[in-house]
Amino acid sequence: MPLETFKSSDSLTMGVELELQLVNTYDLDLSSSANDLLELLKRKPFPGVVTPEMTQSMIEIATDVQREHGPLLAQLQQIRDTLVRAGDRLNIEIAGGGTHPFQRWFEQRIFSKPRFQELSGLYGYLAKQFTVFGQHVHIGCSNADEALFLLHSLNRYVPHFIALSASSPFSQGVDTLFDSARLNSVFAFPLSGRAPFTLSWDEFANVYFTKMESTGVVKSMKDFYWDIRPKPEYGTIELRVCDTPLTVERAASLACYLQALCRHLLERSEPPPEEDDYLVYTYNRFQACRFGLDGMMVNPKTREQISIREDILATLRKIAPHGQALNSMAALDEIERTAGRVGNHATFLRNQYRESGSVQSVVRASVEALRTGP
Amino acid sequence: MVTDFAFLLQSIAWPLVLLLAWLLAELLFERWRIPRVTSYVAVGLVGGLINLPGLTTDVPGLPFLANVALSLVLFELGYRINLRWFRHNPWMLALGVVESFVTFGVIYWVSGWFDLPVDHRLIIAALSISASPAGVVRVANELRSAGQVTERVMHLCAINCILSVVALKLVVGYWYLSTSGDLVMAAFGSMYVVATSVAVGALMGVAVPWLLRQRSTHERGVTVVFALAVLLLTTAAYGLKLSPLLAALFFGIVARERRVHLTNAQRDFGTAGDLLSVFLFVYIASLLNWADVGAGMLMGLLLIAVRTASKVGCNLVAARLSGITERKGLLTGLALTPMSAFAILLLEQTRLYGFAPAVAVLSAMAGMMLVQELLGPVVTQRALMTAHETHVTKE
Repeated sequence: MPLETFKSSDSLTMGVELELQLVNTYDLDLSSSANDLLELLKRKPFPGVVTPEMTQSMIEIATDVQREHGPLLAQLQQIRDTLVRAGDRLNIEIAGGGTHPFQRWFEQRIFSKPRFQELSGLYGYLAKQFTVFGQHVHIGCSNADEALFLLHSLNRYVPHFIALSASSPFSQGVDTLFDSARLNSVFAFPLSGRAPFTLSWDEFANVYFTKMESTGVVKSMKDFYWDIRPKPEYGTIELRVCDTPLTVERAASLACYLQALCRHLLERSEPPPEEDDYLVYTYNRFQACRFGLDGMMVNPKTREQISIREDILATLRKIAPHGQALNSMAALDEIERTAGRVGNHATFLRNQYRESGSVQSVVRASVEALRTGP
Repeated sequence: MVTDFAFLLQSIAWPLVLLLAWLLAELLFERWRIPRVTSYVAVGLVGGLINLPGLTTDVPGLPFLANVALSLVLFELGYRINLRWFRHNPWMLALGVVESFVTFGVIYWVSGWFDLPVDHRLIIAALSISASPAGVVRVANELRSAGQVTERVMHLCAINCILSVVALKLVVGYWYLSTSGDLVMAAFGSMYVVATSVAVGALMGVAVPWLLRQRSTHERGVTVVFALAVLLLTTAAYGLKLSPLLAALFFGIVARERRVHLTNAQRDFGTAGDLLSVFLFVYIASLLNWADVGAGMLMGLLLIAVRTASKVGCNLVAARLSGITERKGLLTGLALTPMSAFAILLLEQTRLYGFAPAVAVLSAMAGMMLVQELLGPVVTQRALMTAHETHVTKE
């Protein structure tokens, strides 16, 4: 089946998806309770969309299409409050964070849906190890070529989003020394990483995708786990590198940072993207995962090394006018606070661990953070 | 050269039976997914039936050991109780309390159809409120079950147990009053025991987490300290003639509120917990007298039907109100079927404290207990499996 036509959408509109953890209140391990929670949520209108995810201990929520920070944040907070209330009713806690610090992947149950069962059959234990939680941000594009231009132009900014959102330092009960251990799980999938370099949708859809489809490896765009992928049915590009932050406030800020950055890139004031940009892509990505904001990244154009923190702060200065135009200065301020002062949520979680000495307390802190905000 | 085979058999009877029970349980679980506790009970019953020397004769200390084993389970159950849930979902608490009253009422009423004295009927009704924490917790942990039926069964089981103990203590008080006319003795037998047991358990629930916080104890260490504290609590409860079961349950509930976490791997108190659990179920089963089983079987079956109907009915009515489907409500009610281990120990302990009718009641309830012990865990297991709260994919 050929790739569907890229649906046009309003440029720079945005939508946020968050994968969230369901946690039991007893020992704060993951709880296979998605069915029960979704059943209860069905009874009343939900302020957004809520769907099951791969395993029974996770759910995914999505906002409507949004244009500005205020309404996006308001909807995310409404969704959060609805979820927390429903969770309270069923004795389930809900938390952000890219990984659950001590869940045992082999205990997770694959959600009983044909697609998930099929993926589990194909990927074996990788499917269960995929019990990780990410934030996806969609940015609307007026046409398919604009989507590919944005997708590839963003390559040099990918470390920013990894470092800012990183909230998965612990995995299987230990500190991984990575700020984002989650992305290592994603990287295990054969169709993960970066999209092939082409700025022409015609070439992408009719040459690359057709060839891939003929190999029998992929059937739709869903089979690609790329860091950024085009979503023709929505008319968007989807950034998938972020860990789910601990708060919806941080999630909204990250989306608006991306929105402002895209507005800046669409001005075409930066040199156009090219294949060689990807020479340093995997290295930069690793630095962001491993060291977070303290990682060093190489600018693919100038080949200069700069700390991710400095690069974010410099970018914020550059895109401030776009933040003004988009009414998202509050969001950009939070990004600046995160990069410049308070640090990402991985740092927060490590501090919790240092103070309490227990991974359970780390989960408790995540649960509280989602409830009470920053 | 060993010549005194009778003596040898008597000495090795318990370990031999326990080993046999364990092997059988593993085999049957693997082959037909029969809950392990059911096999333990079956072996205990057969041991009792063939009157194995050394097993059925009184061995000092066994009731105490059984109480320790059950107290560990009750502590774990208490630790799973989230008091805040009752605030967020008051239907849960209401359901637990109303269902307990309804069960007490219908069992008291139906037992009137048989030739039983009033105080026996009251005791049977009080015991029927309870659901067996050992059966429920063991089966749920064995399946690593998680979901609303599991959560609710745990919480309702705790409420049932508390109310069952309170009801039994009130009945004991009433009995003292009616036989001796001694109001002080009656009050001592009921409210004092309940209140002091709760207080001692709660005190431990505050003290132990405080102690653990004074120095950073690793996760296995936390489990060991809790287990030793349960042991201490059970001993103290015996010494003070309190209810070790109620004390252990409140120890768990309060310790949970004070937030020191047990790890996932330490459910059932690890290997030591497994060992005590084998013993507990074999021992409980060996207490039943086969001669009583046949006589009380008809009444037993009827009471089981009425008790199940009461638990299922109440859970069905409250399902939607409390946030789940009727299907899950029905399964929750069914999963509360096991009752014997807790009830038998409660009765046994009341007997030790000088409550004469306990012996007669145990014999009247023998048929009911036998069926509940053997089939209760199976019903719980099947209910949890039907609720899809166990593994969907095979490991």
